[in-house]
Amino acid sequence: MIARSYDGVALCCPVTEPYVRRSEHGAAWFLARVLRRLLDASGVAKSEVDGLCASSFTLHPDTSVAFTQYVGLSPRVVEWLPMGGACGVIALRRAARAVQAGDAEIVACIAGDTANETSFRHLLANFSTFARDAVYPYGAGGPNASFALIADAYMRATGATREDFGKLAVAQRANAQRNPLALLRNELTMEQYLDARPIAEPLHLFDCVMPCAGADGFLVMSETRARRLGLHVVRILGAIERHNAFPDDPVQLRGGWDMDRDALWMQAGIGPRDVQVVETYDDYPIISMLQFEGLGLCPPGAGPEFVRRNDFTVDGSLPHNTGGGQLSMGQAGAAGGYLGVVEAMRQVLHQAEGRQVAQACHALVSGFGMINYDRGLCSSAAVLART
Amino acid sequence: MMRLQRCTECTAVQYPPREVCGTCLSDRLAWDTTDAFPARVVARTRLHHSNEQDFRSRLPFTVGLVKFDAGPVAVCFLSATAAPGDRVQVCFNADAKLEAV
Repeated sequence: MIARSYDGVALCCPVTEPYVRRSEHGAAWFLARVLRRLLDASGVAKSEVDGLCASSFTLHPDTSVAFTQYVGLSPRVVEWLPMGGACGVIALRRAARAVQAGDAEIVACIAGDTANETSFRHLLANFSTFARDAVYPYGAGGPNASFALIADAYMRATGATREDFGKLAVAQRANAQRNPLALLRNELTMEQYLDARPIAEPLHLFDCVMPCAGADGFLVMSETRARRLGLHVVRILGAIERHNAFPDDPVQLRGGWDMDRDALWMQAGIGPRDVQVVETYDDYPIISMLQFEGLGLCPPGAGPEFVRRNDFTVDGSLPHNTGGGQLSMGQAGAAGGYLGVVEAMRQVLHQAEGRQVAQACHALVSGFGMINYDRGLCSSAAVLART
Repeated sequence: MMRLQRCTECTAVQYPPREVCGTCLSDRLAWDTTDAFPARVVARTRLHHSNEQDFRSRLPFTVGLVKFDAGPVAVCFLSATAAPGDRVQVCFNADAKLEAV
């Protein structure tokens, strides 16, 4: 069954509350600031926002419900989307359907987190029941250890090398040097990448994201409403999500994209070769390679060969994580799940300033989140286009 | 002793433990108990960083993903020489908890 199209729905106003390494502010401050940026960018009054999708790890014990009172919103639709790196695409799916159904007219989609000395360790130790009981007690390596196991299995299965992972990290750093919002803008060479200290072998320092604070957001409304407001519009050609895919695989060498990519491209009406920009969820370069394979940019297991024959910089053969990705921008908690969406929107709207991909018309963005036990459970992807 | 949870209705073995069977949703679960469960190493990592002070003095050490012959996979401490593909016995060690040797 092919899902209904997203015709008539507009994504507007990609905004970012700039990332900082640490903050004294709480998560609600970051979410409120990014909401204010949405209102300022759109000219929409706060009282006109009648839908809210929010994601945050450090807003706890609050959710999007508490946040409505915190900032004085009275929405008709509220979503709380605790899907980590998959939450941006999932938010646009939920918001688009609410708009199409008439359940809400203007939906604010926001994600953000704060970061301080203790927030990250606390998050890891209590991330999920399975992680708390059956992963964290075995060395407390956090996601580095979990993804190291996946990377180890992937390298053995496909022949991927550290140089392959490094090529993505180095290209993203080159992209970040053109993005004033990126926290890490010093040049990164392959030699520096390879010589970095080990964290959880085979992962070394520059395979890992730097936790930080920040927020991202966008608005979803009808195309008609967006035009009336004079806003530039991004369309959703297709979008998918999947949770707990392939539970019998002993180790995660594929995500949910492998189940739904045909539906995605069929709904979009274009193929993987028709996108000019790709934004993957890069909590580690290995995970970007799973997305290249899963979304049909290359065959399963061919990620290393695909990496070797492409250049992933803004001016290269496959512009990828054009703002620097989380590896160079920092991982602002749940905002990491929005980073690819707002960057893909900026690219197709030609608002990416010094890092604009000249031919950007169609963009692929994918998300991946929630390493509940031994694997990431949430996968999502969307194909976006300018009108 | 080491124990794994087994469903008395559908016989599925599961880990981590839970209150219902993840396969058939029965809540009639029992424990298989033995000194060590046979398994195969799926992947390994040598940890050089830990988020907890208690582990830092022991770094670096090896953590692995193992697949029990009975079905489920577990994250556990691994002997330094165990490599992916190797057959191992997984036992419970009160200090180190799950350990594959």
